[in-house]
Amino acid sequence: MGSAILDQLKLEKMSDLLKQGRRLDGRALDEQRELTIETGVIPKANGSARVRLGNTEVITGVKVQPDKPFPDLGDKGILICTAEILPLADPLVEPGPPTEEVIELARVVDRGIRETEMIDLHQLVLLENKSVVGIFIDSSVVDSAGNLFDACSYASVAAVLSSTIPKYEIKDEAPVLVEGVTSKPPVKTLPVSVTMARIGDQIVVDPSKEEEACMDARITITTNSDGNICALQKGGENGFTVDQLTRCSEIALSVGTKIRKRFEQLM
Amino acid sequence: MMDLKRRYVIPGDVIATGQMRPEQNVYQDGDRMISTCVGISEVFENAVRVIPLTGVYVPKTNDLVIGKVIGTSPLSWEFDINSCFIGFLPAQDVFGRDYSPTKDELRQRLNIGDLVAARVANFDRSRDPLLTVQDRDLGRIDSGELIEIAPSKVPRLIGKRGSMIQTIEMATRAMITIGQNGWVVVSCEDSEGLLKAVEAVKMVDALAHTPNLTERVKSMLGVPEGDNNDTTND
Amino acid sequence: MTDDGIRCDGRRVDQLRNITIKAGVLKNADGSAYIEFGKNKILAGVFGPRDVHPKHMANQDTGILRCRYHMSPFSVTERKNPAPSRREIEISKVLKEALQPALILKDFPRTVVDVFVEVLQADGGSRCAALDAAAVALADAGIPMRDLVSACAAGKVEDRIVLDINNEEDQEGQADMPVAIMPNIGKVTLMQLDGILTPDEYKTCLQTAIGGCRSVYEIQRKALVEKYFEGGAH
Repeated sequence: MGSAILDQLKLEKMSDLLKQGRRLDGRALDEQRELTIETGVIPKANGSARVRLGNTEVITGVKVQPDKPFPDLGDKGILICTAEILPLADPLVEPGPPTEEVIELARVVDRGIRETEMIDLHQLVLLENKSVVGIFIDSSVVDSAGNLFDACSYASVAAVLSSTIPKYEIKDEAPVLVEGVTSKPPVKTLPVSVTMARIGDQIVVDPSKEEEACMDARITITTNSDGNICALQKGGENGFTVDQLTRCSEIALSVGTKIRKRFEQLM
Repeated sequence: MMDLKRRYVIPGDVIATGQMRPEQNVYQDGDRMISTCVGISEVFENAVRVIPLTGVYVPKTNDLVIGKVIGTSPLSWEFDINSCFIGFLPAQDVFGRDYSPTKDELRQRLNIGDLVAARVANFDRSRDPLLTVQDRDLGRIDSGELIEIAPSKVPRLIGKRGSMIQTIEMATRAMITIGQNGWVVVSCEDSEGLLKAVEAVKMVDALAHTPNLTERVKSMLGVPEGDNNDTTND
Repeated sequence: MTDDGIRCDGRRVDQLRNITIKAGVLKNADGSAYIEFGKNKILAGVFGPRDVHPKHMANQDTGILRCRYHMSPFSVTERKNPAPSRREIEISKVLKEALQPALILKDFPRTVVDVFVEVLQADGGSRCAALDAAAVALADAGIPMRDLVSACAAGKVEDRIVLDINNEEDQEGQADMPVAIMPNIGKVTLMQLDGILTPDEYKTCLQTAIGGCRSVYEIQRKALVEKYFEGGAH
């Protein structure tokens, strides 16, 4: 059986190490776990990626299909971003309607991609107010070992970058697929989400499952290619000082630059 | 019983046919002896068993286990003992017979997250396992590091008459408490020794089914060849 | 299909698609497997035996089995709504009933074994492929089993009985018959049929599917041997 309770010996060791600026798994405070990105793992999807961040593993697929625009947004294509923790990913997850944690996860990942305006949705309009292209980005967590926010976000961005957009033409006001013609997705900027946990006075980047189990508060900051902060979510049952928040934003920018280089290799 | 034939098997494999007694992890289908798990089959003169290489811990009376406190009720502590069953430690076992839920606080003695070495006092199909700490070397564990290994690998970590665990303890000066449930606590004054001992335990877990394991562990620990009086044939 | 029996994807009538299975691919699950069966890509994860939630599902006499078959939104051509469909719920049930006969859960009263199957990419025959992965994942978890369960479909395409029909053949075909067997015990534990067959075709189709199951069994065995008897030794 699984339980989210950490044993006392590990807790003591973790807090002793943190006082010396060290972590249980030997990482520096601002060091992420090893990140691997594979794209094209689901050939039936228009784009896909498998991302491993330490022992956390996420598979994301992108589906592109014509759709009706939202009533008040007739000049924009549709972007839908979801995330799900599959029950096989974690002994504590049960099948059923999504919990608030999972809904938060999906919304934070969505916000990072939407608010940075990663995809130019104006370029996805086929016939204004009538017909647009929809991009559906669905992430499935298959192994859950901490920091699902960044893992889902990186997998979503990588899946979009690897995707091909089919061409549609309007005939009699209805979209018709043009076989054999595809284009790259209209990407304007590369969002990078960086999640940090506060444990005592220390800020650690990319918290592991164990660190999450004893963190005081959490923050996810998404930056864009121009070095701006575009989306943010604070979580956890405790707070941050203003100084800590400033430091978090600096860390998010510097770590973000490194991850963005990885994304650039996919373009 | 010396006629021992060992073979790698998976569920469904027919190990032997004929008039025999099916022991651990063997299912009888007519006169066929069939393995129920991934493991190593052993055929004796009139009995068959399979040593599993994977699987969960099923408590047995008298097993030493390491448990983690996950909750309390007014009369007992609840333990995660790495099993499908929750372990119960009655308050009286710790406080004595005059325990009273109105004046005694369970969590002052053992709190959530505490690790405890305990013995399974009683377990049958109808009830969850009952634990006790009424014996020497049992009770709360105050220092060391918890390592989780596969419960099926515990016999290998102990070794024949304790040879493997003694080898590791002697080479590293560590104290190792092995729960039959696959939870192992390693403690050592010296941090170098702790690292070595932890590495050795993990090595046994990863390589449990390979031959010459004792020799490989010794060479990792830097124990000279033949330094151990107990030469086990792996 | 050509006159000499070469199918739309280049296979002979009695030929399976390419199948690879890997055991033990997930860290959090007690047992897991990944299968690629033609273009199907499916993950299976097993947890348990463990505590049952909700409590009222628990059986005092035996452990119970639950099974969930789910398709990822990106697994099919048109994006699939992530909520479970009626088709997925039915498949979950038949998968459970196909696995149940192989499991021995009497030693785990009041517990549950959960099998989760995620179809990451679907091609024809995903329920059979899911079952093949689930059986390996159950063995990997060390759940006691009488036998593995091996599944494969056969069907009727252009008036001929063919093994393992793919997605296109399923759309065009005249009949599809998924079958699962316990290969050593020789029982059929899953069988469905969509389409019209003469009594003779029915017999041939069943025999063809069982032949496919036996080939799949060898691939399942290989996956377990690789993890337990070859893979662990480095």
